[in-house]
Amino acid sequence: MSACPIKKTDVTALLSGNLEEERRKAVTEHLKECRECRKDVEDLRRIFEEADAVKGEIREALGSVDWKALPDRIADYVFAQAAAPEKRPSAGERFRAWIFQARLRPVLAGVVMGVVLGSFGMYMALRRPAPRPEAGFQASGEFLDKVELEMARRETVDYLEKSQYVLLDCFGAAPGRASVRSAFNTAQAKELLSKKKYLNPQLDKLRMAKARVICDQIEMLFLELAQVGDGLPEAEMAKIRGFVEDRQLFLKINLVKKELQNGV
Amino acid sequence: MNKIIATVGLVLVLGLGLAAPAFCQASPDEKLFQDAKLLLFDKKWDEALGKLQELMDDYAKSSYYNQAIFYKGECLSSIKGRERDALQAYKAYIRLGDANPSLVEKSEGSIIDLAFGLYENGDRAAVKEIEGRLGHANRAIRYYAAYKLSLVPDKSIATKAVPVLDGIIKTEKDPELTDRARIALMRVSPESLKSVEGRRPAGEEPRMLRIRVTKKGQKEPTVSINIPWSLADLALNAMDEESKSAMRAKGYDINRIMNDLAKSREKIVRIEGEDGEIIEIWIE
Repeated sequence: MSACPIKKTDVTALLSGNLEEERRKAVTEHLKECRECRKDVEDLRRIFEEADAVKGEIREALGSVDWKALPDRIADYVFAQAAAPEKRPSAGERFRAWIFQARLRPVLAGVVMGVVLGSFGMYMALRRPAPRPEAGFQASGEFLDKVELEMARRETVDYLEKSQYVLLDCFGAAPGRASVRSAFNTAQAKELLSKKKYLNPQLDKLRMAKARVICDQIEMLFLELAQVGDGLPEAEMAKIRGFVEDRQLFLKINLVKKELQNGV
Repeated sequence: MNKIIATVGLVLVLGLGLAAPAFCQASPDEKLFQDAKLLLFDKKWDEALGKLQELMDDYAKSSYYNQAIFYKGECLSSIKGRERDALQAYKAYIRLGDANPSLVEKSEGSIIDLAFGLYENGDRAAVKEIEGRLGHANRAIRYYAAYKLSLVPDKSIATKAVPVLDGIIKTEKDPELTDRARIALMRVSPESLKSVEGRRPAGEEPRMLRIRVTKKGQKEPTVSINIPWSLADLALNAMDEESKSAMRAKGYDINRIMNDLAKSREKIVRIEGEDGEIIEIWIE
């Protein structure tokens, strides 16, 4: 339409019937040939028709207005509004206004930074600690039981060996100097009697039963001999030695020792 | 048959040994006593108890009467359900004026064992017998009470043993005693052990052996042990068979590991088993 010789004002004047005759003919001739302008005119005509449809309603509404009283009513309303007390802001609005005032902004920034850093710190403190080497001694109860069992195995071997020495020392004393009491009152014999009780719990365990029997017998022999008075005659000493040999106590000690040395 | 001959021999020999001068005829009370001890030697508790009771009933003035009380305790402690009677027998023996020191020490140890057994079976008050011996004048009894108390599962009770265990490590030279005390402290109060071990002069010896075993594909170790260096040999021997065989397969035995570790404190023995298990051992 921009390239066409007619203007929008011509079309508006045409539809409203206010276009001059000569111009009206020119426009009408052009519309016969220009489809684009014809479509614009049709669109505009439709708008005019729709406007005409509500014209009656508008006219009716305007007719209901009391035009004479209207200025007074407007003036009254304006004065009434001016006389009303100013509406107070709510607590939330006042707080927002206070907190966001310019001079508190650095403080506000500091608080926000503190909250962020504090939260991060709490997170770091409360999160599951990362695995790291433990500083103190630690081992499970089960492992400590195994350590004790291993210790008992070694100590039982030691107990049996030392018992052999004590018995041999006792039996090997020179004639006339034999003193069972002195032999069994040595610090070593006392130590053996004292240590035996630590072995008992482990000796009760499976595969140590044989060791327990022999250790118990040695202990009883020690307790017995520890009670014998000084100066046991050589003949009696020989009999005790014979008894130990009959019981094959040294052989049994060696066998149990071997078993224990090869592992429980 | 051999056993019978041998046990008869024991009676004969010990009987003769106890009754000087030799070869004299055994009196009825002595005969009962020797028979009882022979039965004890063969762990025939009920029969031995019968003989001892007969001796005590019929020969109240016998010179064997006092010893019979101790051996009665021995029999009763081995008969199920008679533990409390055994406790009374041992206590009666300890109260005697002329009790033999060796038998007294044995009685005290047996009381501790019996009390621990009763505690394990639900008699909570029995543990007082052990606690009461933590201050015993005889250090062997004191130490044994502390060791036994450390095995009590209730930590509030077990920790009462800490001062005595601590004292053993500080004052005793016998490695068997000190190692046991270390293990007991590890059970009850590892921090106390750390405190004791920390008092060693600097550079004296490495203080801690660390063992980590990590299964293939796992980040966290399945075995994590920090143990005093003095227990290193025991700890390495106490490792499970799987780990030990992995070490052997790579040419490591316990001695080699100990030697390697002892040479350098920075050394880490790292062994990768066939199944991807990684064993790391080092000292600090």
